[in-house]
Order: sequence, then C-alpha cells, then structure tokens
Amino acid sequence: MKILVTVKRIPDPVEPPKFAGGQIDTSSAKWVQNEFDEYAIETALRLAEVGGGTERLAEVVVVSVCPATKREHVTNFLAMGANRAIVVDADDTQLDAQSVAQLIAAVFRKEGADLLVSGKLSQDNESNEVSQRVAGLLDLPQATFAASVVWDRSANALQVAREVEDGVETKRVPLPAVLSVDLRIVLPTSVKNGATPEGHPYPDKPRLASLRGITMAKTKKVDVLKPADLGVSVGAKVVSRGVVAPPKRQAGKIVASVEELVEKLATEAKVL
Amino acid sequence: MNLGPGSLFSPTAEHDLVRQTVAEFARREVDPRAAESDRRGTLDVALFRRLGDLGLLGVTVPAADGGAGMDAVAAVIVHHELAKYDPGFTLAYLAHAMLFVNNFYHCSNAEQRARYLPKVLSGEWVAGMGMTEPGAGTDVLGMTTTARRDGDHYVLRGTKTYITNACEAHCFLVYAKVGGRVTAFVVDRDCPGFSTSGHIDKLGMRGSTMAELVFDDARVPAQNLLGREGDGIGHMMRNLEIERLTLAAISVGIADRCVEIMVRFANERQAFGRPIVDFGQIQRYIADGFAMTEAAKCLVYNVAREVGPDVRNRIGSDAAKLFAGPVGKTVADYAMQVMGGAGYCREFPVERLWRDAKLIEIGGGTLEAHQKNLAKDLSRHVRG
Ligand SMILES: Cc1cc2nc3c(=O)[nH]c(=O)nc-3n(C[C@H](O)[C@H](O)[C@H](O)COP(=O)(O)OP(=O)(O)OC[C@H]3O[C@@H](n4cnc5c(N)ncnc54)[C@H](O)[C@@H]3O)c2cc1C
Repeated sequence: MKILVTVKRIPDPVEPPKFAGGQIDTSSAKWVQNEFDEYAIETALRLAEVGGGTERLAEVVVVSVCPATKREHVTNFLAMGANRAIVVDADDTQLDAQSVAQLIAAVFRKEGADLLVSGKLSQDNESNEVSQRVAGLLDLPQATFAASVVWDRSANALQVAREVEDGVETKRVPLPAVLSVDLRIVLPTSVKNGATPEGHPYPDKPRLASLRGITMAKTKKVDVLKPADLGVSVGAKVVSRGVVAPPKRQAGKIVASVEELVEKLATEAKVL
Repeated sequence: MNLGPGSLFSPTAEHDLVRQTVAEFARREVDPRAAESDRRGTLDVALFRRLGDLGLLGVTVPAADGGAGMDAVAAVIVHHELAKYDPGFTLAYLAHAMLFVNNFYHCSNAEQRARYLPKVLSGEWVAGMGMTEPGAGTDVLGMTTTARRDGDHYVLRGTKTYITNACEAHCFLVYAKVGGRVTAFVVDRDCPGFSTSGHIDKLGMRGSTMAELVFDDARVPAQNLLGREGDGIGHMMRNLEIERLTLAAISVGIADRCVEIMVRFANERQAFGRPIVDFGQIQRYIADGFAMTEAAKCLVYNVAREVGPDVRNRIGSDAAKLFAGPVGKTVADYAMQVMGGAGYCREFPVERLWRDAKLIEIGGGTLEAHQKNLAKDLSRHVRG
C-alpha cells in the first residue's frame, strides 16, 4: 500500500494580507504549512502505522507543488513521520487548481499509489477543488470531507463517513481512491486500520514532530521533479483579474435614544 | 523579533522545528495543567513522560545512543518555550535532562549507558542530581558526603539537600568525596542505606519537587562509579555551564510571557476613559521590560552557540545567568504592577511566574557566585 498526501505552503493566515498591483503581494509573506494538510498527514500516518509498535502497513509519501527552494513545509511533514517526499518544482502562486490537479494526478500515476489523502481545502484561497479534480483526472472513486475512515484491508476498501448537511453519510470506496479530510478526522478514534489496538491513545489533534523525527527528516529522500518530467505542461486557464481589499468600514455613530436610532436608520442608512 | 531559521535564535531549520514542536506542546498540554501543579506543589509525572515521547529528554544525547543529537542552542529553545507556560515543570525537565542525562552521558561508560539511557530517555525513570548539602551550597567543594570502597561496593555517607525531583526520581547522579577527592556516582532509589526526606515545600517552581537525599552507609555497586575516582570536579564544572545557560533560558521564557501578558492587559484595561497603555508610567514598564527581555534573550542564545561537551565557557554561562536571572524577576514584577490587583491574583499566571522567577537568582549558583566566578575568570589574564 502506498499513500500519497498532498501538502501545500500558504502565507501565514495570522498575518493580514498585503495588496500590490491589484493582487495579493506575497513577496514578504511568512510561509507556513496548510493546517488541513496536517489533518491529511495524520490520517495517512494513522492508516499506515500500527499504533504502539514500529510496523508500517503502508508507505506515506508527501507531494507538494512549490518552488524547489521553498520547501521548508515539506520538511515539517517528513519530521511528523512521512517516509519520503516528492516536490514538483513550479511556482504554485501562478498555477490554477486544474494545473495543480494535473501534476498531482501525474505523480499518483508515476508512483502507482493506492490512495491520495488531501486536506479538504487550503486556507489561503479555500477553493476546495484539487482532490475532486484529481479523482476526475484519474477516474477514481472519491470520498470528500471525510470525518472518519476505516480501512478494510481484506476487502482492499475504505469505509468513509462524511459529514453532509442532513447528517453523516457512510460510503464504501474501493481502492485505489481519493480521499479529502475534514477537521474531525483527527479525533482519537476517527481513523482505524484494523491493526492498531482499540483504545490506542491518539490525541485529538495532528501529532507534534518529535525531536528524533526532526533530526531524521533531513536524511529522508526528497525527489524533485519538473512539470515536464511528468509530461504536464502547466499554464493557468483561470486567470485572476484582480484582488482588492474589502472597503474599510466607516466608523459607527453612537446614538442617544431608540427614537434617534430609528430616525437615522430611516433617513440616513435608508434600511427601514 | 525574527525567531525563524537562520536567526540567532534558530540557527538551522531543525532548531526552528524544535521550537515549533515545543511551543505547541507547551500551549496544548503544559499550560492547561500549570496552575494545578503549582497549587498542589507536585510534579505531573504523566505530563513529564510526554517529554520522553517527544524525544526531549535526550535533547543533547547523540542520535546513535537514542537521543536527538542536538546542541546547547536546542536545549535553550526547549527551556525557553516550556518556561513560558510552566517554569516549575521546566525545572523538573532541567534537573532530569541537563543535570542527570546530559551529565551522565558524558561521564558514563558503554555498560552504564546501556543500563540507564533507555529508561531515562523514555521518561520511564525520572532522574535528578545531588551536589548541594546542608553545609555546602556555593562552597560546593566543602561538601562532606564521603564514599569509601568496600569490596565491589562504595559506601556513601552524608546528606544532599534541595534536590529537584528527589520525591519522584528513580536514580540520581551524586557527588561524594573518596579520600578527599570529589567523585561522581549514579545511585538508584532502591539502593540499601539510601532514602529521601519528605517534600521540602517552596515559594515557587512548584511544578517540581525538592527533597533531601540521605546516605546512611548506602551501598552503591562499584560499577556505578562514573569515570574514575577524583573525576567529579571535571564532570561538575563542565555540566554547570549548560545548567546555568538553561536556567537563564527559563528566565527568558518567564520574561517573554510577562511582556506578552502586560501588553495585552494594558490595551484592554480602561482607566480614566482610556486604555492604560496610554499612560507614560505604564509605557515605561512595557518598554523597559521588553528591552531587557530582548537583551537577555540575545545574550543567552549567543552564549549557547559556544557551550558544548568539548568547549569550556564558564565566563559566558555565568554572565548569561547573572544577567538573565534578574530580568525574569524584574519583568514579572513589571507585569504585576501593570496589572494592579489582577496581577496579584491567581486568576492570571503572572503571580506564579513572579514567584518562580526568583529561583534563577539562587539555584545553580547565586548571583554572588556568578559575580565571584566572573571577577576571578576575567582577572586571570591580568594576574597571569
Ligand atoms: C528550587 C531549588 C532547586 C534546587 N535544585 C538543586 C538540585 O537539583 N541539585 C542540587 O545539587 N542543588 C539544588 N539546589 C541548590 C542550589 O544550587 C543552592 O541553593 C545554591 O547553590 C546556593 O547554595 P545555598 O542555598 O547553600 O546558599 P549559600 O551558599 O549558603 O549562600 C547564602 C548566601 O551567601 C552568599 N555567599 C556564599 N558564598 C559567598 C561568597 N564566597 N561570596 C559572596 N557571597 C557568598 C550567597 O550568594 C547567598 O547570598 C536547588 C535550590 C533550590 C532553591
């Protein structure tokens, strides 16, 4: 079993975005890892490992589309426990979701992977498209927004619970397949692989990298591929025409009475 | 200030990842339990074992021997980030990982490492170090605990006091004099003739415990001698450097957190119709507190680059602790002043950090001891 996990760098969401030339200016941004990808790697690791032991049921490979020189986030995922990494060397800020999906689908094929695990979205543009597009390109079954997953190894299938508007939908997905995960996937009993003992004390969050993981990360293999190596010619079909900050809110007014409020809502704000 | 990779504070990407891991662990797991540990005056052993899971207990032990194989800068990062949330718990970590593990590693042989490292690196065993005695603190070489060879054992007699982790620890690195020469041993709790006193209650650092080690003709196997007879001073002097450096890092963590708390509080608290941060007297506490914190941080991290098993840097480590110790205490005091009554109450962590901070001016060497050492070391080349 080989599990591919998509990981992305994003501008630190804690810092307010800067604008320049009608676009978001990321030239001085601090780049961090996308939080949903931490859920994805945690899912993959819980599927792969036998909790409490050292045996691994699957290889976990992280893949990121980013400039080869800007891959600190990839090291973080290796430190958390992925076996190795593939970096597709491209300027991710210039690519649309379809191009990213084509690159990931090509890596999936090249690797002969059995499962793709993605976070349901990246916190920067929140487009929530890549995993669905990859499933389409590969013509594979998919389950999105997974809240729990059980790997039925004898049937080579996943049983996935998805939180949908009117409840929880349970799906059976034969492998190979594509999975995108939501927040609840990291609750202590959300991921089961039939080998980790019931009640294994998983935390309710993605794991922290141990010091050993951190020092081992630099010894792990990272393959760097160009889009051309994957036979993909990238070029954004979706072009962003401009991004502007929302208009500044005007300072509010403090009114002295309900009568004054009603009067102003009627005459000034004209909402009554 | 930029703490990211390549900075003085995280020279490499690994250092930066260590900081992220420890900071996140401290926020998630240490912070919620700190007030309770302080109230009870106990070490949270279950939480302590989590440090083992994360590989923090062997931060400076080479990877080939089961540690993380990192340097003094990494050790400083761990203490700095943990101490923001619980300096007392951090002191227990220091007593284990620096005073025992780091010291033991550098003075033990392969057989001793095989016996002890797996247990102390995982956290299955808690450990401590006994140097101070009721009659000998600063004057450490005036210690009167003795060891005499008796067949395949050494017989230890004397008392150690103020020993961090003594209530919980399974083993200790202990200094005793063999024929007048300071010698190091590792002593297990179940050693015949050895016992610990009751818990010595204290003002701060209450997330760790302290007690006496009592050697009443304790019979320690000769295979627990660390190095050779008389090697103890060398082990002690080498290890005091990283001890002082990491104690200084605890002070920096306290100061950092207190600055953060007082800035937030001063912006939220209103008096005379505006936030108190508008008042010049409050601004002085904030600005002076911040500047001192940054100065201490720079000094501690700068010295950390030149502390290691194969370099001697007593001047640097004494200077770092002499300067950083009072900074933690002073900045905690500033934060309390800015917060008024709220700062004095248990609802906020400042009064706890304020109590904890004082220890750095005493433990691991008093301010006066650092002054004495520095004046002596700095005069050496003048006097010849
Ligand atoms: C919370 C806590 C935890 C500790 N943990 C440990 C531990 O794990 N292991 C361990 O071995 N020890 C530990 N200690 C002991 C600590 O290292 C000693 O308290 C410290 O070294 C000072 O020794 P003392 O208390 O005997 O003070 P003393 O040495 O008696 O000093 C009393 C006063 O005299 C001053 N003084 C002494 N000599 C001189 C001089 N030559 N010139 C000028 N002034 C001088 C001192 O600076 C101080 O102001 C701990 C202490 C505390 C409070």
